[in-house]
Amino acid sequence: MSEVDKLQPEEFVLNMGPHHPSTHGVCRFVLKMEGEVIKDVEPVVGYLHRALEKICENRTYAQIIPVTDRFEYCTAMSCNMAFALAVEKLSEMEIPERAQYLRIIMLELNRIASHLIWFGTTALDLGAITPFLYGFREREDILDLFEMTCGQRLTYNYIRVGGVSRDIPEQFVPRCRAFLDKFDACVDDYERLLTENVIFVVRNKDVGVLSPEKAIAWGVSGPALRASGVKHDLRRDDPYCIYDHFDFEIPTCQNGDCYDRYVIRIKEMRESAKIVRQALDKLPDGDTRAKVKMVFKPPAGEVYSRIENSRGEMGMYVISDASSKPVRVKMRGGSFNQLQVIPEIARGHKIADLVAIMASMDVIMPEVDR
Amino acid sequence: MDREQLINYIQDKFAGKIELLECGRVEPFFKIELDFLKEFCLAIRDDATLGMDFLCNIGAVDTGEQFQVVYSVASVKNKIRFDFKIFPDRENPEINSVIDVWPGANWYEREVWELFGINVKGHPMLKRFLLPDDWNQGNPMRKDWDAPDFVRLPEN
Amino acid sequence: MGIIKKLPVFLEKVPGGGIVTTSLDYIFSQSQASSLWYLLFGTACCAIELMATGASRYDFDRLGMIFRASPRQSDLIIAAGTITKKMAPRLKLLYDQMAEPRYVIAMGGCTVKGGPFYYDSYAVEKGIDHIVPVDVYIPGCPPRPESLMEGCLTLQKKVKRLKMQDWS
Repeated sequence: MSEVDKLQPEEFVLNMGPHHPSTHGVCRFVLKMEGEVIKDVEPVVGYLHRALEKICENRTYAQIIPVTDRFEYCTAMSCNMAFALAVEKLSEMEIPERAQYLRIIMLELNRIASHLIWFGTTALDLGAITPFLYGFREREDILDLFEMTCGQRLTYNYIRVGGVSRDIPEQFVPRCRAFLDKFDACVDDYERLLTENVIFVVRNKDVGVLSPEKAIAWGVSGPALRASGVKHDLRRDDPYCIYDHFDFEIPTCQNGDCYDRYVIRIKEMRESAKIVRQALDKLPDGDTRAKVKMVFKPPAGEVYSRIENSRGEMGMYVISDASSKPVRVKMRGGSFNQLQVIPEIARGHKIADLVAIMASMDVIMPEVDR
Repeated sequence: MDREQLINYIQDKFAGKIELLECGRVEPFFKIELDFLKEFCLAIRDDATLGMDFLCNIGAVDTGEQFQVVYSVASVKNKIRFDFKIFPDRENPEINSVIDVWPGANWYEREVWELFGINVKGHPMLKRFLLPDDWNQGNPMRKDWDAPDFVRLPEN
Repeated sequence: MGIIKKLPVFLEKVPGGGIVTTSLDYIFSQSQASSLWYLLFGTACCAIELMATGASRYDFDRLGMIFRASPRQSDLIIAAGTITKKMAPRLKLLYDQMAEPRYVIAMGGCTVKGGPFYYDSYAVEKGIDHIVPVDVYIPGCPPRPESLMEGCLTLQKKVKRLKMQDWS
């Protein structure tokens, strides 16, 4: 036997990150490897900890809305919504109906935009560049709609306490309908690229299987939970805004592997387009914002509000003491729990599978670090 | 199960050890004692009517005078949600870990320990989480914390 | 590179050598400016705008810029996103690994002077210019893709002014 054959594999520690080509932000993994197989993963976070919660303690309620934009910048509308919902629950405010419909339109368009970012970066991580360019092309159309309404492409500051900041211009509705008319064909294009692609299927099927009991125990929510077979969506189970007026489906899958998480998000994009179409048809006239004072002081109390974000459950816990600044704002993002559960599902896989798992879980670092 | 039924059920089940806090019309808020925490969490998770298997959030609060640790729990099957809180000491704050009840509480408790300085007994890995590795300036989320390069927004 | 150091000195002594030196300067700096490869370094919100600038509508490839994953293969860092105190030593490490000539663009308010996190944040590095030397600052939160392209064109103007002696 030669010298090489007598060697036994030993355990060694490999560092991955915080800067690596996987474009999910700055996350570092410390891997205990034996050969090419992962024995244990330890995520090290904190490279994007910007102390958002400390900032919120010294800002008025109107000044906190732009701060929440930076909490989860891919779905900034949802972050604004979570905070506005918490404050409205505390002060038991009535929101005008037109504002509710506009909120739904913006939230669902933002969900589609966020899933398009996920789609592009997932394919890029696994080595395909065309889906990235396709996905971002459609996303630019959605950003045009947002820019026409509130002037910003990424951090909107649009959904305020009491309603929305301004009304939509005239060209919004025709352009939105034109976008929705071509969007279904675009999603068919994306599916033609990846869904039955042999390389994509082999890299994602049976990789990173998450059982439903484990998912609930670890606090995983959103598409990752629905891919494991649990039909739980806050838009249906704990409705906020006026989601109970709309007709949409909640897709679920059986296996809970990376491929199922991909299938769920593609289906969710189609369902969101359906919701926007219904909202555009039923859009009533009226005010876009309830009468709210400039320096707003809600009554004393505390509340935890939660909404269904594209990455899971987003929660805001707000304590108010009847002054113009809150005592404490705690933000909860879905990616926090998704990153926590990655060590459980990555043991025994290889490093390339870890990249696929990380991409399919759709983790965004500012939700983890704040 | 609506809000009134939920409050009555929980108060009947844990009579004497739990206190309902004034909270208007939002989800119910309870106060429990420090020693009763683990038993309470196990009971609400395993109870058939409640079945609170989903931990939404653990947050610590420093109001200036006292510490509070707030737990938000939900049930996926029964669609219930409520919150409860405990009040650790000001001088030597310590709480028990609920990691055996909900494994997802792991990183939430690490953050509470790191940013507020509240010790979590029974946690397997209390080490640096969000702050830099060589951080030696204390617990920044406390209300009485300050540092030389910490600039506050001026009042105007 | 030894020849880059010795060639201009040698050519200055030859009559008419100045023309060769300036033509070579022009060729080298033009070709460098038209093909700046940037490191994929994005931490926060500006990273999404950086990706959008590299994607279909605003295309970076028409300026000759493509992304590379390794600092050894790139000559530009576009620092997009907030740099925290925990991340600052890693940025310095990445900058040190790049080969000369190397450039840094500070994209977004956070890298210029701390941005929206200047007040009340205990963990943010208020500006990156005390970590790495910055060539171009692009303000905005986040800056539009057109602003980012204007910043890259400004950098190209700066690179085209360089002479061969500046590199070694």
